[in-house]
Amino acid sequence: MLLSRVADHLFWGARYLERAEGTARIVRTFTEVIVDLPTGLMSSWEPLLAVAGSREEYDAGHARAGEADIVRFLVADATNPSSILSSIGAARENLRTTREVYPREAWQVVNDLHLYALSNNEAAVDRRSRNRVLSRVISESQRLDGVLTSSMSRDDAYEMWRLGQSIERADMTTRVVGVRAASLLALPPDTDDYDEVQWMGVLRSLSAMQMFHRSQRGPIDGASVVRFLLTDAHFPRAVRACLGRIRRSLSALPHSATLVPVVDELDSFLGSLWVEGSDGSALDKAMDGLQASIAALSSRVFDEFFAGRP
Amino acid sequence: MTMAALRTTAGTWDELIDAEGMPRPAAKALTDLLEGLGLAELQERQDLAELDILALGITFTVYSDGRGIDRAWPFDVIPRIIGASEWRRIERGLKQRLRAINAFIDDVYNDQRVVADGVFPADLLAESVNFRPECRGASPKFGIWAHISGSDLVRDADGTMYVLEDNLRVPSGVSYVLENRAISKRAFADLFAEQSILPVDAYTDELNRMLVSLAPDDIAAPSIAVLTPGIFNSAYFEHSFLAQRIGAHLVEGADLVVGDDDCVYLRTIDGRERVDVIYRRVDDMFLDPEVFNADSMLGVTGLMRAWRAGNVAIANAPGAGVADDKVVYAWVPDFIRYYLDEEPLLPNVPTYRCVYPDERQYVLEHMAELVIKPANESGGYGLLIGDRATRSELDGHAAMIEADPRNWVAQPILSLSTAPTLCDGEVEARHVDLRPFILSGASQYVTAGGLTRVALRRGSLVVNSSQGGGSKDTWIVED
Repeated sequence: MLLSRVADHLFWGARYLERAEGTARIVRTFTEVIVDLPTGLMSSWEPLLAVAGSREEYDAGHARAGEADIVRFLVADATNPSSILSSIGAARENLRTTREVYPREAWQVVNDLHLYALSNNEAAVDRRSRNRVLSRVISESQRLDGVLTSSMSRDDAYEMWRLGQSIERADMTTRVVGVRAASLLALPPDTDDYDEVQWMGVLRSLSAMQMFHRSQRGPIDGASVVRFLLTDAHFPRAVRACLGRIRRSLSALPHSATLVPVVDELDSFLGSLWVEGSDGSALDKAMDGLQASIAALSSRVFDEFFAGRP
Repeated sequence: MTMAALRTTAGTWDELIDAEGMPRPAAKALTDLLEGLGLAELQERQDLAELDILALGITFTVYSDGRGIDRAWPFDVIPRIIGASEWRRIERGLKQRLRAINAFIDDVYNDQRVVADGVFPADLLAESVNFRPECRGASPKFGIWAHISGSDLVRDADGTMYVLEDNLRVPSGVSYVLENRAISKRAFADLFAEQSILPVDAYTDELNRMLVSLAPDDIAAPSIAVLTPGIFNSAYFEHSFLAQRIGAHLVEGADLVVGDDDCVYLRTIDGRERVDVIYRRVDDMFLDPEVFNADSMLGVTGLMRAWRAGNVAIANAPGAGVADDKVVYAWVPDFIRYYLDEEPLLPNVPTYRCVYPDERQYVLEHMAELVIKPANESGGYGLLIGDRATRSELDGHAAMIEADPRNWVAQPILSLSTAPTLCDGEVEARHVDLRPFILSGASQYVTAGGLTRVALRRGSLVVNSSQGGGSKDTWIVED
C-alpha cells in the first residue's frame, strides 16, 4: 500500500538522482572525448548544452560559452534546475518526505551525496579535479542502488523508485548517444579519423564497453554502438532494457493495465528506428523523438498514479 | 583536564558536580574519564559527534525570512546524568501526574464533577482557550485523552526537581532522545561498556503498542498513520522518524479522506485504504475544517465525525490540550488529591494566577522577581524573566497583563540547575532542563530519562532549540 503523494515523491526523487548521475556521465564523457582529440579539432563546449537540454536557460544568464562557464552551469549552478547540484538537492527534498518507506541507509547515502555536492561542486569546474568529483557522484549513486537492491522489500515503493529511475535512465542513454551526435555536428565534415575514439567514449560513459564487446564480437562502429545502446535487451542502460524494467515495475503496481501498452508502443517505435551512426543530424533527431516519447510515458504515469483517485 | 575545569556556578545546583566540587556518585565514571581525556580529545569527540549528526541527516527546522531552513541538530557531547534511584521516584511522580490529568480531561468533557465539587472554578473552564465544546460527551478508549505527553522538569538550587509544565498537545523532542543516544554511544563507547546506563530505544516499540491498543475493538491489525502539518513544520524530522520506527504511514491532511461511512481512508495508488489510528502532530484547531478552523489546509474534513463515531482513534485526543495551560497547571496538585486521593510525588512550581486580583496585584508589584509567562504560548515566546528585563520590557508586560489577565501567570525565578558543557573549547556550566515523555494507554510508560535541553549562551535560561538552545544525552545510571 503506497500513498499517492509518497509515490509521486519517490518517483521524482529517483528521477532526480538518476539525472544527477546521468549528467555527471555526460560531462565526464564529453571532457574525455575532447581531451583525446588533437587540439583545435573540436573546441566548442556548446553542444553539451544542447544535449543537456539547457541551451535557453544558459543563454539567458551568460554572454560567453566557454568550458568553465558551461561546466559550472551544468554541475554547480544552483540557479540551473537541471544542474547536478540542483538535481541532488531536489532528490533530497523529495526523499526527505518519504523516509518512512525506504531503508535508513539509503537516506544516509542521499544525505552524504548532498553534502559532498555542496562542498565539492566547484572542484568539478577545474579539469584536473573534474573526473574525481563526477566519478564520486556516479559511485555514490551506485552505492544507493546497492543499498536498495540488498535491503529494500520488493513492494510498491520499491517498484515506484525503479520506475522513476528506469524512465530517467532511458532518457539519459538517449542523451549520452546525443553527446556523440553533438560532436559529429561540431566537427568539420569528413573528419572521421577519430571516429572510434569517440564511440569508445560514448560506451565508456555508460560503463558499456565490455558488455558491448561481449555481445558484438567485432570492432567498434557507429551503427552497432547505437543499435546496442538502443535495442539491446540485456544491458541495463540500453533503452530497450530500461523499457523492460519499466514494464516489470508497472506490472507489479496496481492499475497499470493502461500503461503497459504505452510502453509496448514505445518499444516498437524503438525497433523502427534505423540510425546510421555517422549522420549527426539524423541521430540528433532520432534521440529527440525518443525523448519526447519517454516524456509522454512519464506524464501518463503521473495521470495514473499521482493525480489522485476519487 | 582537571576537575577545576568542570566549573560550577555558586548558588546553583550542578547535575554532575556537588557543592564541594566532587562528582556526584552516578557521574563519577564520566568525570574520571573526562579528567583523563583532556580538552583536545573531548573536542575531537564533539567534532565527530557533529559529523555523525550531519551525515545521519539529524535536523530541525528554523524559520528565517519567512523560510523554513533545515538545520543540523545542536548537541553537546557531555551527557547529563541522573542516578537510577532518584529517577524511579520521578518516574512514579510523572505517571501519577498523567493519571490525574487524564481523569481531569475526561471529567471536564463529561460529568464535570471537578467543577460541581468546587475543586476547579467554572469560569476558568468557560474561558479556557483550549477547552473544545465539540468534544463534550466523547469517551475515548480507557478514558485516556493525553496519550503522549512531555512534561518539562527543572531543578532548583536546593536540588528539588519541579514540574514546570505539562505538554499535552503535540509535544516534540522524543526522536532526539533516541538520536542523541545513538550519537553518545559512539562518543563514549568506553563508558557504555563498563557501567549500566538504562537504554532508551524501547520508546518507539512502546509507542507502537500503545497506538495499536487504541484501535477500534473489531480491528485485528490496525493501520496507523502519523499526521504531520508537512515539511515546513519545525518538528517534521521527528514526524518522519517516528513513522519510520513504527512502520506507520506519514500523512498530510490531503492524503486522508473521510468517506460517507464516517471512516477515514488513505489515498493510495490503489484507491482508498482504511486507517484506524491517527497519531496527529497537528494542533486541534487545524484538525478538521468542518468543526474547527474552516480555513485549515492541514486537516481532514469530517475527521471529528469519524472520531466521535468511534471509527478512528486520535492520539492525542482532540481537546486534550485543555489541561495544557499554564493556568490549569496550577491546579494539577489538587487534581492528584481529588481524583487519585494521593499526595503529589513531584511538586509544582508555585504559580501566581493573574486572573485573581490579589495574585495579579502581587505579580505586578514583584515583576522583577518573577518569570512572567503567557498561559497558552509554547516555544518560549512572550516569556519574560523579571530580573533580566529592562524597565520598558517590564512595563510592556505589565500592560499586557492588565489587558488580558487570564492569559498570564507568574512564578518565582528558579535558578535552574547546570551541567558541564563544551563551549568554544572550554567546559563551562550551562543551564539545563529535562523533558521526559510519558505514554498513557491501557498502561503507562516513561522514557528512561528524556531530552535534556541546554541553554548554550552563558547565563541564559532559554533552552528552546528555536532560540539557540542545544541538547544533551540523558543517562540514567544505576547507583
